[in-house]
Amino acid sequence: MAAKPIASPIPVALYPTLSVFTLAIGLVITAIFFIYEATSSRKNRSLGKELATSAVASVFLGFGSLFLLLASGVYV
Amino acid sequence: MKQSSVVDLLLLLLAIALLATPAFSDLVLSKVERRIDVTSQIARVTKTLKVVNSGSESVSEFILTFPKFLGNNLAYLSVAHSEGKGKSKRTLVNLSVREADSKGIPDSISVYSVTLPKSLSKGDTLTLEVVAAFTNVLQPFPEKITQGEIHLVMLQESAQYLSPYAVESQSLSIKLPNARIESYTKLENTKLQGSELKYGPYKNLQSYSYSPIVVHFESKAAFAVAEKLVREIEVSHWGNVQVTEHYNVVHRGAQLRGEFSRLDFQARPNPRGASAFRHLLARLPPRAHSIYYRDDIGNISTSEMQSDSKKTELLIEPRFPLFGGWKTFFTIGYGLPLSDFLFASEGKRFLNISFGSPILDLVTEKLIVQVVLPEGSKDISVATPFTVKQFQEIKYSHLDIAGRPVVVLEKNNVVPDHNQHVQVYYKFSNINLLSEPLMLISGFFFLFITCIIYTRADFSISKSSPTYLAKLQWDEVLATLQEVQSIIQKCLATHDKLEASLRDLSRTGDIQTCKAARKSTDSLLKDFSKELKPLLGFLQSSPIASHISPKVEELVAKEKELEEKLMAKHTTVVEGYEKKSSGRDIENRIASQQQKIIALRQEIEDLLEFIDEI
Repeated sequence: MAAKPIASPIPVALYPTLSVFTLAIGLVITAIFFIYEATSSRKNRSLGKELATSAVASVFLGFGSLFLLLASGVYV
Repeated sequence: MKQSSVVDLLLLLLAIALLATPAFSDLVLSKVERRIDVTSQIARVTKTLKVVNSGSESVSEFILTFPKFLGNNLAYLSVAHSEGKGKSKRTLVNLSVREADSKGIPDSISVYSVTLPKSLSKGDTLTLEVVAAFTNVLQPFPEKITQGEIHLVMLQESAQYLSPYAVESQSLSIKLPNARIESYTKLENTKLQGSELKYGPYKNLQSYSYSPIVVHFESKAAFAVAEKLVREIEVSHWGNVQVTEHYNVVHRGAQLRGEFSRLDFQARPNPRGASAFRHLLARLPPRAHSIYYRDDIGNISTSEMQSDSKKTELLIEPRFPLFGGWKTFFTIGYGLPLSDFLFASEGKRFLNISFGSPILDLVTEKLIVQVVLPEGSKDISVATPFTVKQFQEIKYSHLDIAGRPVVVLEKNNVVPDHNQHVQVYYKFSNINLLSEPLMLISGFFFLFITCIIYTRADFSISKSSPTYLAKLQWDEVLATLQEVQSIIQKCLATHDKLEASLRDLSRTGDIQTCKAARKSTDSLLKDFSKELKPLLGFLQSSPIASHISPKVEELVAKEKELEEKLMAKHTTVVEGYEKKSSGRDIENRIASQQQKIIALRQEIEDLLEFIDEI
């Protein structure tokens, strides 16, 4: 019946740093996605490549914005 | 208010006089010590009762009685019995107390029944420790005062202990605040020592003995009462317990008569405004962070905070000093580290948090505690040391779909003695933590998908207009150009590989691998030229690409030439190695070719750049 304290999965002190890095990576991949969209012509644009880039970008942006919320005190 | 209590008193005396049935007379209280502390707005009564069973039957129930005018204001009651002998070894064990029906007891008496730990047989003794807290029993008298007057209150009690049992010896001491004492009822054996008033000891009293006393004294305590307090405790498994408290505070002391002069108050706060309070002290848990204090207007800047490893003290000052009858509203909020309050035990999680307000000496008339658990919590149950009204709600907050379960605990008339820990048990899986990031991720992904669809969509209204058709053709030309470009790039990369194989040859002297590399590049380049043919044909036939196609043709021709030169160079070098010529000899032989190759490469790159800019 020993009660064990529960802590957050990631230390709270790391949230600001994590948010900066994940958001930076996410924004770079987003930029790559939009550069590809703008430069490739309509005919030889590959859907797979677009989806893969956007999936990776949204994972980073999603976690980045979550950490940003947590770091700024909005505990979701 | 006053009249009704006088009527109560009369009724009580009448009832006591009429009472003849000695229903509870088996037990005798051999010694009763009562201490009443009225230094704050709460009258806190502690009693030590020594119970002896003088009858023949064993008894398992003890009856506690209070005069009704006190019993109605009873906020907190706990009865403990001390176990073990000797002062140091004594431990207090709480006993269960419930409100009992007053059968055989007059209506003017409140009755509580205590279940004894073990039934008392003949001659056994037991010591009970009773702690009771009463609110609203310090009646301000006079009921209305001006700003300059001092705050006088009145306490009514009985000098003799009101009990259904006979009392052998009893004494009462009242601890008054260290200030003026206006008057007190003088009975035999009454002593006033400093700020402590003593009655007794009185010996051999009948059951239901009662002798009213009234003490009239000055109180400097803050009569701060929260008419309604809503505490919202929000648990986030990402590492925080957020507490938000909404206070509706009123000064329940003597009402202010006449007008309030800020000048008098500021210039000489004592005694001009002695009945007002300007501060409230909240003792928050240690490591509280992100503390705020605001009301409807906005932030209130008059607060001070001190913290150490044991506690965080927040001294808040309302926007104006509170006089009798004045009200104020404010909100305080703070975050607490999760690991201090949330624990896991036997597959369940539980939040262990204090029930009442952190503000010292505050009486709460209606306390609502809302514990907001994370979305996806199941099997919720609550453990409280006292009875509270509880029900469940759903709250929608950030990134919620199904809403968060909220446990609502409600209790009236809460005093600081109720600041005990309550436990909210629930089941929660850590997988549910991922739902919030997943929601954000899908939001972003949806945005990207919209972009992909937008770039693929055709928004032109007229599908047959010449400009639209021209645009379609131009798109096709551009696509072909890009393909040509990419093939040329691939050719150049193959050339680089061939060059690399030559360098390897000069280093290792392995002719076979070099030949194999040559073979593979040959076939690759052949494939590329095959791919290029239809593209070139399309560009030549397309009228819209007439100004581009010569350039492209030139590019392809140059590329062919470069290819031939490179092959020639390769053949020369390989042959040189096969004949075992010296390195210098070979270099001399390919020197002219090398120059041409570099020049061609430059031209091709220029052309590619030109096409790129189209």
